[in-house]
Amino acid sequence: MNFNPNDLGWCAPFLILAVTGMLLVLAEAFYKGPDRTALCGLAVAGSLASAIASVILYRQLGPGETHALFTDLDASGTLRSAMLLADRTGYVLSALFAVLTALTALISPAHQREHDWQMGEYYGVMLLSASGMVILAHAVNLVTIFLGIETMSIGVYVMTAMRRRSRRGNEAAMKYFLIGAFATGFLMYGCALLYGASGTLSLLHMQPALASSANPGLIVAGGFLLVVAFGFKIAAVPFHMWAPDAYEGAPTPVTGFMAAAVKAAAIAGMLRVFGLALGGDVIPFGTLGWASPMVVIAAITITIGNITAVRQDNVKRMLAYSSISHAGVLLVGMCALGLGSPTAQSAIVYYLIAYSFTTIGAFAIVSFVGSRGRERLLVDDWAGLANQHPGAALAMTILLLSFGGLPPTGGFFGKFYIFKSAMDVYNGQLLWLVVIGVINSAISIYYYLRIVTAMYFREASQPFAPTRSGGQLFVIALMPLLVLELGLMPGWWLRLIG
Amino acid sequence: MSPGGGFLLPLLIGLPLLGAIFIMCTPKTEQSLQRGLGIAFTTVTFLVSLTVFRYFNPKESGFQLVFDTEWIPGLGAHFKTGIDGISIYLVLLTTLLMPLTLLGTRASVERHAREFMAAMLVLEAGMLGAFVALDLFLFYTFWEVMLIPMYLLIGIWGGQRRLYASIKFVIYTMVGSLCMLVAIFYVYVKAGAVLGAYTTDLEKLTTVALPYHAQVWCFAAFALAFCIKIPMFPLHTWLPDAHVEAPTAGSVILAGVMLKFGIYGFLRFAMPLFPHGAEVWAPALAVLAVIGIIYGAFVAFAQDDVKKLVAYSSVSHMGFCLLGIVALTQMGVQGSIYAMLSHGLTTGGLFLGIGVLYERRHTRRLAEYGGIWKQMPIFAGLYLIIVMGSAGLPSLSGFVGEFFTIFGTFNAGDSFPANHAHFLPHPHLLGALACTGVILGAVYLLFMFQKTFFGPLDKAKNGRLPDLKAHELIVFIALALGIFGLGLFPRPLLTTMQPATDKFLHDYTKRIDEPDGPPHIYGSLPAAPPAGSAAPVAAAGGTP
Repeated sequence: MNFNPNDLGWCAPFLILAVTGMLLVLAEAFYKGPDRTALCGLAVAGSLASAIASVILYRQLGPGETHALFTDLDASGTLRSAMLLADRTGYVLSALFAVLTALTALISPAHQREHDWQMGEYYGVMLLSASGMVILAHAVNLVTIFLGIETMSIGVYVMTAMRRRSRRGNEAAMKYFLIGAFATGFLMYGCALLYGASGTLSLLHMQPALASSANPGLIVAGGFLLVVAFGFKIAAVPFHMWAPDAYEGAPTPVTGFMAAAVKAAAIAGMLRVFGLALGGDVIPFGTLGWASPMVVIAAITITIGNITAVRQDNVKRMLAYSSISHAGVLLVGMCALGLGSPTAQSAIVYYLIAYSFTTIGAFAIVSFVGSRGRERLLVDDWAGLANQHPGAALAMTILLLSFGGLPPTGGFFGKFYIFKSAMDVYNGQLLWLVVIGVINSAISIYYYLRIVTAMYFREASQPFAPTRSGGQLFVIALMPLLVLELGLMPGWWLRLIG
Repeated sequence: MSPGGGFLLPLLIGLPLLGAIFIMCTPKTEQSLQRGLGIAFTTVTFLVSLTVFRYFNPKESGFQLVFDTEWIPGLGAHFKTGIDGISIYLVLLTTLLMPLTLLGTRASVERHAREFMAAMLVLEAGMLGAFVALDLFLFYTFWEVMLIPMYLLIGIWGGQRRLYASIKFVIYTMVGSLCMLVAIFYVYVKAGAVLGAYTTDLEKLTTVALPYHAQVWCFAAFALAFCIKIPMFPLHTWLPDAHVEAPTAGSVILAGVMLKFGIYGFLRFAMPLFPHGAEVWAPALAVLAVIGIIYGAFVAFAQDDVKKLVAYSSVSHMGFCLLGIVALTQMGVQGSIYAMLSHGLTTGGLFLGIGVLYERRHTRRLAEYGGIWKQMPIFAGLYLIIVMGSAGLPSLSGFVGEFFTIFGTFNAGDSFPANHAHFLPHPHLLGALACTGVILGAVYLLFMFQKTFFGPLDKAKNGRLPDLKAHELIVFIALALGIFGLGLFPRPLLTTMQPATDKFLHDYTKRIDEPDGPPHIYGSLPAAPPAGSAAPVAAAGGTP
């Protein structure tokens, strides 16, 4: 491996997050006093700095320009493998992850104060976890994919367990950790089989190697194991069982982080693995390639997620199931990518942006509504919010409409773009999947509107006593505006994604 | 036509939106200020729409005042608006009904006046946008934007069963519109391949001929969305619930304007995009329209709740509009548009009248009224005009539309070359059955009027009902004048909408002769001459 010091510059977003994360862990050790808001400030500053670094590096690159980092060249100077790839999509995603981290940090202090789990390590672990996501955004090697996923996941396990006195929290963390470890096994095994079939770990070189591989059986098995592993990470049906419990038990800001950032990062990893390494002419699963199992998974993920969400009375669980169905929509995009739709990648990235901002905003409001001793997680508990806090109710309505895919929100355009990419696929093979997705949109409207109905059409039994904090209110005010902006002016974002 | 004025339509959509934002910024307690602002903004919007009408050139058949700017570059979605002889009158109807509704129901909204006004203004922006949108993506956006304010209007300011009614309204409409969305995807992708660039521009999409079967399916998807909106029997069950639970203003706008989107959608989108689909489904739609006319009338007759009665009368009246367009004759189409305008004024008026009574008596049961003519003579007189207009009395507005649609149905097929397959089955029978709807309409409406205003004044509570207040008087006089105007002078309207309807029919007949094939631009496939007719055509066109 050749070490080129310039490569470190391209990794600045990662380095900033990792260093700030470690600083935060250290700071906690020396920090006196009960309030950890100052640490939150440092975490926000660090993640924003990382986001700015991503923007700067993005601007250094032309469209389509890439730099392989931490490369291994053979004697003639040809690239044999690389660990990371600096490209525009990668920097868009790493900026997204950093911004999501900052937003999560902003909504955390209020929840910590209100529910009494003030710990400074929380911010450190969050930033370290985010550094794993940034690795995933750029990873082009099975090793870095693995590293990224693990760095990210271990941090999130810890964050889930942060509220030590909550029994549900402990249960959630345990479940999440065990299932996550299980998924890691699948991931490792899948990587090993693909390496066995292709003789390389570099995703940039794997596709031709696989195409000429003498062991198609290994490719099928390895690809399938990777589908399963990523299925666990993004909570696709039938690998979703952990998600509702973990989402419900984790502290609300962490739930937002899990649903938005962790899912987005796993999708970023899938983009590289399935788009690059297993894309094109590698046909390990019959005529549609790996898209054939994924088409089925996408269809059942959207449907089961939605139908189960209809039956939930707990807002957090409802959003958990809804996020499962959103993972299904993203998998539709992934299938379109596998079948060669030219716009699928930018559709997925756009959807990730719209979906994750919507999610963070929604969980910020869930966290805002609850107060000490009364978390108000049931839909019925939200009755009359519009009377007492019209701003929060309006914000939640806009975000829910975006979830449901109604114009003019980012969620609508995201769905439109993903389904359009799926329709692009030769001969309309995915038309039925689009129909399923669209039918599910109608179902989803029903349960999203249940919350709106409770907020607007019913009277409160008890006054709300939300925690007020500047950061939280900022997120609650900003996200709906951003979601509307995403829906009204998607052109700017599409140019950005490229 | 003066070339300027392109900014007028975006202004028309933007004004109510601006008003909504402005009103939301006023303090919560200033309810009368908010009501005043709502009326002011809708009135200004009406004035702008009159300016649009001044710029509108009635001799031209194509789209006018077109405003076109790229919206989403990668996808070919444009912010493209324009009007023609069909949409201009629907726009005017919307902008006229809005201030009248807000004025007429001024006192009835006691809670959250700020939110109420904002919802109404957003609703107006959505409706106007959907009427002038010439881009499928833009149209779909506005189509959905209309939904949420109406949902909130029913749910927040509605009656006892408002939760059920509001969610039923949304789910019904969403199912239809999502089916339409799938068809939009299909057209978008297929036409994009033919045109060489993806676009959602309606005028470009209508140049593409889709394969026969695709047209049939896509038309069915669009038709589902539009038939739910109309609402056509048997998809009408959301309407009585929504109407009964909605506040007066919501009912007026729902019946007066929103139902028209179903018919308008057929004229503007479904039929031009999928002519063969229209050909296949037209007989079914016609039969269901006639069933709706008769069924709606009978069910209306059986109602004790006045609002339900008027709701079912809408099912019946909108059946005429649907019948008129599927007949695909000039009279049918013009009559359909005319009936929509008339229905907007009369049904809007009927609901406003019910609102007036409800405010004074807090009941909608017919049995609770009787003998009110003596108490409220002015109201009774004006209401009689509205009822008669709705029942289709000659010289009032309803007559023209119903007469034209029925006449158009009788002649269905006349606008096509004789060898063409497009005929409604048994047009005379359909027309005759529709006629019974007119008679039944007179029966239930007069029955309602009689039970309310005539007879002995035997309920003590009806003894001291105050007559119309000044602001209500203005509203009802304006509506009555409109109904008289439409009934007595149909010619100016009919002649000004004629270029547009002629173009619609001309394009339709031209497109329907296109031979089936893979997606292509109209006229680009060499037409395979039918075996029998080849020789005469050649002889007729050849040199003497």
